[in-house]
Amino acid sequence: MKKRLLCLMGIVFAAACITGCQQKDPEPGDVAGYDEGEEYLSIWVHSIEDTEEGQAYKESVESFNEAYDGQYFADIEFVPRNDSGGGYSDKVNASVMAGGLPDVLTVDGPNISAYAANGIIQPLADLTEEEESEYLPSIIEQGTVNDELYALGVMESSVGFYYNKDIIEEAGIEIPDADDSWTWSEFLDILEELKPLMDEKDGYPLDMTFPVGETSIYYFAPFVWSGGGELVSDDGLTVDGYFNSDQTKAAMEFFRTVVENEYMSEAPIDHLFESGRAAFKFDGAWEVNTVYTSYPDLNLGVAPYVVSDDWDGEAYTPTGSWAFAASSETENIEGATELVKWMSGVDSGIRIWEMTKNFPSTYEAFENIDVFQTDENYSALYEQLSNYGHPRPKTPVYPQVSTCFQEVLESVALNGKDVDGELDKAVERIDQKLERYTRE
Amino acid sequence: MKKKNSIMGMAFFGPALVLLTLFLFLPMLLTFGFSFTDYFALNPELTHFVGLENYLNIFKDDLFVQSFFNTVKFVVIIVPLQCGGALLLALAINKAAHCKKYFKVAFFVPVVMSLAVVSTLWMQIYSPEGILNTLLANFGIDAQPFIYSAGQALPSIAIMSVWQGVGYQMIIFLGGLQNINPALYEAAEMDHASGWQKFKDITLPELKPLCVFVFITVTIGAFRMLVQPMVMTGGGPDHSTYTIVYDIYETGTVNWEMGLASTMAIVFTVFVVILTIIQNVLTKDKEERKHGNKKAKAN
Repeated sequence: MKKRLLCLMGIVFAAACITGCQQKDPEPGDVAGYDEGEEYLSIWVHSIEDTEEGQAYKESVESFNEAYDGQYFADIEFVPRNDSGGGYSDKVNASVMAGGLPDVLTVDGPNISAYAANGIIQPLADLTEEEESEYLPSIIEQGTVNDELYALGVMESSVGFYYNKDIIEEAGIEIPDADDSWTWSEFLDILEELKPLMDEKDGYPLDMTFPVGETSIYYFAPFVWSGGGELVSDDGLTVDGYFNSDQTKAAMEFFRTVVENEYMSEAPIDHLFESGRAAFKFDGAWEVNTVYTSYPDLNLGVAPYVVSDDWDGEAYTPTGSWAFAASSETENIEGATELVKWMSGVDSGIRIWEMTKNFPSTYEAFENIDVFQTDENYSALYEQLSNYGHPRPKTPVYPQVSTCFQEVLESVALNGKDVDGELDKAVERIDQKLERYTRE
Repeated sequence: MKKKNSIMGMAFFGPALVLLTLFLFLPMLLTFGFSFTDYFALNPELTHFVGLENYLNIFKDDLFVQSFFNTVKFVVIIVPLQCGGALLLALAINKAAHCKKYFKVAFFVPVVMSLAVVSTLWMQIYSPEGILNTLLANFGIDAQPFIYSAGQALPSIAIMSVWQGVGYQMIIFLGGLQNINPALYEAAEMDHASGWQKFKDITLPELKPLCVFVFITVTIGAFRMLVQPMVMTGGGPDHSTYTIVYDIYETGTVNWEMGLASTMAIVFTVFVVILTIIQNVLTKDKEERKHGNKKAKAN
């Protein structure tokens, strides 16, 4: 008898374990600030509460609750993630299966297509033209899938093509204007010219690597785009003819030339550029802040991103960051859209810049931050972003595209493998993953 | 009385059983089930039963096959080095007259450190202008690429892993050494046995059960290699350090293909289980033979 009782207790305990994980919207009064008559909106962010970024989101949510007092109440939950985004996406994946997605959640830019294609997020309620025009074009472009706007980011990112002013001056080289970038051929000549000088300094003309992870496609896909190429088709469902196009091939071969002529080190050397042993470097916009705070002696400049010889003025420079989207489970799309707009709006953008030094996503925010007017490097990055920003490929199989891009780059540029063979192999691999979306 | 005992037993065992069922047995069964489907994490509703398709596909997948052989390479390098190294260290420390505690702690510290920290540390050591290359330069040897070349990355990571893990097995051996009855050595000395004879005929046989344990745990540990390549090389260059567990992780969480990842996990598990059974059978045989010999001698 008692045995049965114990068994029963065990089952109850197990059931409690399972149901304990499932969330239900609280009643007014359960959460501080949530009053009678307000509509409840839950929001997940991908950072830890103790970080600057987490605090910025928290403050934005608090100001939302003040502004919409009596109408909406937003409740923020911090979901920590590891470097590759694991913890956060695990939780999202689990909720997709078990239910319990919040009203609003953050999504990494390149994942928006996959989330939209699989019905995890839904299009936002219509924005007015004026509201849309507040955002940088790259942000709208990143959040749009099949002509519908799904997500708006509070931050935008960019990659700078940095140079060491002292070295460039010593070599007597002139940096071109923003709309008149060096083409690959011109840039190769410059690298050749710099080679002897940099050998003297025990360095390389270029501080560049092709690391595993998101970095490679983020920094170097612009070389494909500036030649008029794309990595995937517009609908994101075809790669054959895109990923293995002549433009991609040309970009890969350009990198091989750079490696073969020893304009860069094959194995990464730490702080090569920062220690004055490289003339150029591609790096995220955060590099400006790093140099200003940690390497004050380095005379930093931002040159326009190098373009293909075939460039005719189209957008091509790196962009993309985490954005806010409304989950498919929300029944209050109007409220969720208000929250998304608020979280990505001007004030939130200025806050994210002040607390984390991430670029904001609206024109007005940039105009209200002094350094984008006064500092030549920051203003150059802003100009590049607003005039030439190009989002990463929009396809539901983005992770595979990103991985393949890095692999091809590494095997062609560093290991000297046949570019056609590698690109075709990659296309085959991506096609396999696309089957899920194309077989119907 | 007996009944009371069984109730008490259940009371102690019950919670563990529930937790194990929930978080171990059930997920294992689910994984087995998923391995026959195309379960996609972003869209579970579209899951179809695909039979053995996944099983056929992964063996056609060059990357999975490569990661399999990479993992085997890791095991082949790590197991002898780590088992042998642990035994040598234990013997040396056991013999050491001074600073025994210091050495014990020094060799054990890497075990306590987080693998991610150790990996980052060794990235500095292996870097083109790092400590190791600076040392080599002193001997007139050219700078080596280590983790940045497809040829050297795997052995470099394997050696680092041995350094990181060897302290744990060393402590186990050390415990074993201290448990050997000193009378055995005294008797051997009276028979004028050499050091090597003492090691071969007393130390090794006495340590045998521990050797089996260490051998099996190191093998399984090496098969599960993931963090080091993930932090240091990202599986590169050219997939030369991409392991099975890494492939399972990438397939399941980065590409969201849980069905395929489950299949890989099942294949991997079956392989390790078979290997462990073989190891068990081999070592048991030897032990039985030993007991048989002893009996024969006694007679």
